[in-house]
Amino acid sequence: MMKRYSTITLLLLMTLCWTGCRKDTPIDEDGLLITDRAECYVSNFELLGSDFQTVRTKNAEIDTVACTIGVTVFYGTDLKHLYPQFTLVTDAKLDPKITGFTDFSDLATPRTYTVISGNREVRKTYKVTVTVQPR
Amino acid sequence: MNAKYFGYTLGLFSLCLSVVGCKDKDYAIPEPKNELQNDCIKRTLGPNLAGLNIEFAYAMALPATRGKIISAQVEASIQGDSTTYLENKSYYTNGSGEDVGIPIGDSSVNQGNITTVTFTKDTNAVTLRYYYRIPKAAKGKEVRFTFTAKSSNGETVSYAMGPYAISNMDMALDLPVKDGDACFISVADMAVYNEKDATANADKIDLVYLYRAIPNITFKHALVSPGADTAYLPGIVLPPGVNRVTKVKKTWALRDFHLARLQYGIYIDDVDFRQLDMSGTPDYAINLKSEAGVWVETADGKYRAYIYINKADDGKKSGTISMKRYTLK
Repeated sequence: MMKRYSTITLLLLMTLCWTGCRKDTPIDEDGLLITDRAECYVSNFELLGSDFQTVRTKNAEIDTVACTIGVTVFYGTDLKHLYPQFTLVTDAKLDPKITGFTDFSDLATPRTYTVISGNREVRKTYKVTVTVQPR
Repeated sequence: MNAKYFGYTLGLFSLCLSVVGCKDKDYAIPEPKNELQNDCIKRTLGPNLAGLNIEFAYAMALPATRGKIISAQVEASIQGDSTTYLENKSYYTNGSGEDVGIPIGDSSVNQGNITTVTFTKDTNAVTLRYYYRIPKAAKGKEVRFTFTAKSSNGETVSYAMGPYAISNMDMALDLPVKDGDACFISVADMAVYNEKDATANADKIDLVYLYRAIPNITFKHALVSPGADTAYLPGIVLPPGVNRVTKVKKTWALRDFHLARLQYGIYIDDVDFRQLDMSGTPDYAINLKSEAGVWVETADGKYRAYIYINKADDGKKSGTISMKRYTLK
């Protein structure tokens, strides 16, 4: 009886040692999991005003080949306080990060955001062009 | 051998658990204190604004063998407005869910900062509501209350409540605005003027209300600073001297309970105005709807306000607004 207990305990300890010594899952500098995915694109784009309501007049036009996003906003939109929201492919991340309201008032110089794939090896820079609805 | 010991130990524990689990709990009906007692709760929530009530429910009771309650009074550290009163009715809820009041004494009497109800019915347990109408003199100060009950056997009990901070905010409710008529809004006066009155108060006009249905764009109801780009004031001829540049920040779903009087328990307080970041905000807000609002900072930096749109009527090109204002300097 006691012999069987000892054997089970030993087996458990060995399993623990094996698990403990296994190599850590890779994570990046943001603490995010680095995966095998190489896909790298923006699937949706939203732009919110200071009242956290959309300012888009229609869906944003996303060109994943040319890496451009075109968005038309309502007449009178406060372009200095816009909150962009990106939807990315699984495991991808954005650089720079969105931390709050962003100034899009310089219409001649579109803002750029880089999408980084899940394996952190593919980088694609998207240009966001904002157009104000003409009167 | 060891397995046997394990078995015994496990059995013993199970037995103990059974004994503990089946034991009856001793219960005794609590003995009431043989004296006059009282208790109080504050019923109103949110910031305390001048012109609004602070409501309390004051309960008092004593055993019937010790006599009856003869009076109840509240002493406020700052005298309330004349409409301050202590209920002279005790309420119960009937089968239809309605509160039915039973008078227990004379209507309350205010003497200075003391409000008193003298009992006329043989009462030994009652809860009375107290409504303290906050006076303007209390703005920015703290107010305390002392609730006191007296019984026929000479006993007296008291209950202290507070301190409660009284807000520095001012409030104006349900101001009608109409395109081309009552459309000049003054935060300083917390009023809406027509063109004639706006001319007389030109230096106090902070916003212009307008409604425009412009093809291909969404303009509709708007609050625009008189000094804003004329593109946001189409067809508006401003009275002479009306030219202030007011900061305006659009918000949505900030339905302050005092202004909206809806079911949402959201309150704008002094601290919200103090911490508000109005840097870089525009001087106009267009496409406003019912239940939207705007934060405003006047050109001279003296006031910050929150203007809530209670109602916006496209057909009549009009609306109803309510305002909370905070003085910065």
